[in-house]
Amino acid sequence: MNNDLIIEGLTKKFVTATSVAIADVNITVKEGTFTTLLGPSGCGKSTTLNCVAGLEQPTAGTIRVGDFVMTDTARDLILPPEQRHLGMVFQSYALWPHMKVFDNVAFALKLQKRPSDEIRQRVHESLVLVGLEELADRYPFQLSGGQQQRVALARAVVSRPKVLLLDEPLSNLDAKIRENARVWLRGLQQQLGITTVYVTHDQSEAFAMSDMIAVMSMGKLQQYAPPDEIYERPANRFVAEFIGVTSFITGILQNVDGKKATLKLTSGELLNIRKESKSDYVWKDGEYTAAAIRSERVEVLTEGAPARENTVKAQITSRTYLGSKWQYTVETSGGSLRLESTDAIQGDSLSMYLPPDSIILLAN
Amino acid sequence: MTTAEQNLHPAVTTHPKFSWDTGVQWLVVIVTAVLVIFPAWPIVLQSFMSKPLYDKDRAFTFDNYSNLLANARFWDVLVYTAAFAVATTIIAVSIGIVLAVIINRTNIPLRNLYSNLVTIPYYVSPLVLAFAWMQMYGPQGFGTILVRMLKLPIWQLYSFGGIVIVSAMYYIPYTFLYASSSLALADPQLESAARIGGASPFRTILKITIPLLRPAITYSALLTLVSSFELLSIPLVLGNAVGIDTLATYLYTIGVVGVNKDQGAVAAVAVLVVILVTGLVYLQGKLVSLERRFVTVGGKATRPKAIDLGAWKGIVSFFVGLYVLLGIILPLGCIVLTSFVPFLSPFMNPLKMLTLENYQGIFGSPAYRQSVVNSINISIFAAAIGIVFMAVAALIAYRSTFKYRNAVKYMALYPRAFPGIIVGIGFLWAFLLVPGLGSLRNTIIAISVAFIMRYLPLGFSAVSPAVLQVSDELDRAGRVAGATWLGTIRYILLPILRPALVSGYILLAISFLKEYATALFLVAEGSRVIGTTMLELWKQGGAEPVAALSTIQMAITAVLIIGARKLLGVKLHE
Repeated sequence: MNNDLIIEGLTKKFVTATSVAIADVNITVKEGTFTTLLGPSGCGKSTTLNCVAGLEQPTAGTIRVGDFVMTDTARDLILPPEQRHLGMVFQSYALWPHMKVFDNVAFALKLQKRPSDEIRQRVHESLVLVGLEELADRYPFQLSGGQQQRVALARAVVSRPKVLLLDEPLSNLDAKIRENARVWLRGLQQQLGITTVYVTHDQSEAFAMSDMIAVMSMGKLQQYAPPDEIYERPANRFVAEFIGVTSFITGILQNVDGKKATLKLTSGELLNIRKESKSDYVWKDGEYTAAAIRSERVEVLTEGAPARENTVKAQITSRTYLGSKWQYTVETSGGSLRLESTDAIQGDSLSMYLPPDSIILLAN
Repeated sequence: MTTAEQNLHPAVTTHPKFSWDTGVQWLVVIVTAVLVIFPAWPIVLQSFMSKPLYDKDRAFTFDNYSNLLANARFWDVLVYTAAFAVATTIIAVSIGIVLAVIINRTNIPLRNLYSNLVTIPYYVSPLVLAFAWMQMYGPQGFGTILVRMLKLPIWQLYSFGGIVIVSAMYYIPYTFLYASSSLALADPQLESAARIGGASPFRTILKITIPLLRPAITYSALLTLVSSFELLSIPLVLGNAVGIDTLATYLYTIGVVGVNKDQGAVAAVAVLVVILVTGLVYLQGKLVSLERRFVTVGGKATRPKAIDLGAWKGIVSFFVGLYVLLGIILPLGCIVLTSFVPFLSPFMNPLKMLTLENYQGIFGSPAYRQSVVNSINISIFAAAIGIVFMAVAALIAYRSTFKYRNAVKYMALYPRAFPGIIVGIGFLWAFLLVPGLGSLRNTIIAISVAFIMRYLPLGFSAVSPAVLQVSDELDRAGRVAGATWLGTIRYILLPILRPALVSGYILLAISFLKEYATALFLVAEGSRVIGTTMLELWKQGGAEPVAALSTIQMAITAVLIIGARKLLGVKLHE
């Protein structure tokens, strides 16, 4: 049986103080995979997650797991959260302060009126899974932040849900613990083989953990693809800007020929571009346009190096020492660019090489 | 995932038509609406009728209003009430703020003791306070006679000034409590910054501490204004003998004791008063939300270092002590003493004539004894029912997706615009008009329902902050784990809110014990409460039985407060 989580045409109108509307979001999360909803705050990622959980009501759309339909606005069906059999971990962990760890984890099973032997055993299994079986008799306030987060996870998976929802569960942890928790959480998800939807605004988390990333902005799904594709072939200008450090260089498009083109800067310098982008941008001769390039793909050329295609001259306008490297902002005739180098560059000007397959043309 | 679990997820396609969740939500919204509308409709209706509502010959008319507006006495009373309310507010708020700053922010001796003593009037019925001042400072008062014997200049308590001062005494704790909790929450770094900027301690208080209290000042000023506008007891007890009337005593006079009761006039006055108070309450909401910019609460309640008053601290402490002694301890002590003697007089040593006669008189009379029992029952049971209802209403308003959740909030808060005496009139007429309900008047059910309606805003506002402080992720987590809305309330929210519910319950129980104005019209043979019996005895001229009832009421209140603190560890205010 196929148990993919399928979100179709999900739309929520009305803008309230706490949530922003979302428009026509379509996402399929394959059974057993890990999808991250990534975007700046207010982009609609939490609203989407809450609609899946049943905590918010969409104005249109369907949400189902396999043939278990949870939301179908066309049929006026919106199941309340308690009838969806999901697991969820909240940003604040939301451990109930008046219950011991054991009772927190056992809550869902008690509501299902399971026999107490079974409850004890399954709570124990869940706590072993997160490595906290020793702490069953503690109250939440007696635990560290990392332990609370693990209890919240044990509570979310104890009733063996088909889908696990995670709402920025790592954002309240210290930076060091967070990196370990990331690896641990991904390992656990693969061990359980549970379909997981994860919400975050932290792109390094998204890249480290996900099978698929859904980049969202202004309530719209901007791109839904595996992490490497999101990084290498951003679908539009928003994705390119949001992920990594991206600069834009402007010029006039010339010699469009199938998979190749040239960008002519105002100085007359020419940049060859190879068409690799998945973007649905239509290339047109003579158009004034901005091309994106990742700062780490720009190569600084040493003085006296042999002349090459795609070389651009630039003036250094600022330099920042970051410890492991230098970051420069430079001014070219196509606009300002950011680039990185492990070398301290002397002087005020430099030449740089922009690899043809790293220059991406994007729809706005 | 075992295969056995696969069947846990049936392909549900039916939309649940009824659930207990929505059932309870509808029930609460309907009960709230009925509570608010039930006493209002007969008053509004009556105000447009030529004859009483039970009279078949009644007809629609505007005469009630035109007669009233043409009545010079009404305008006198209105102006007098406005002057009284404004004067009371100015005095109560200024003294309350000064006391709050001195007691919370300076190092005067005995400040911890004072911080408890100055709040006493908050827990005492204004009726008791009025009797206490009458016993001490009235024309025949213990203190007055003492001063007269010493040939010192004498005062007249039965006057505008006297009524204002006693009323201010009653309202000072409100400002004191709001300002104190505001001071406790304010960021002490704001004061530190002023000191580092070169300001002296005194200047810091004047330029930083007090201006930061503006929201508390605005809020307590409007609260005092609204409450004193409808205050009945103090103007009645102290102004009756000299013919002074405020709107509340005027209503009482024409409605309860008047020879030819004109129900149309009573209704017209009531409607005008409700409109007036609604305006004030609306103004209060507007001003308080405008003052949000002063809110500096960071949640950190670090107590800043007390400001050193140096050589002044002894003198300041002396004056605060004098205020507590003359304003609170002596009058209340005097009324307690009166309850234990045949009569109180400076000419005879009271300690030589101690007696329990007055108490025997109260408990010997079935009617008086019943009023004490009724009051206790209402305090215990009606307050318990009330607080649970108000808590569920607050949870619907702030923690549900129910369609009419905002309506619940507005309806629960609206009775603020209904003075107690008008709530009483409304319920009386409604109970008399609806067939079958009239007999309820003789039980405490009618009075309990009226009290619950009158104190909906108090209970709702007592529970709401606690509800809002609980992260909504806790109930969301409950829902996702499989609990219904009611299940979440039962297993998660109510246990977490328990301390707030207990303190809300005690607050409601004390208020029900103190309440008299709502019961005045509604009271019948079998439903007397302490407050109505006190007024009855006062009219018969018995100062000592009144003192005994006052003492009983204070003793029960003290038991409630001390019990809450010691047994349950609950504080009634921040």
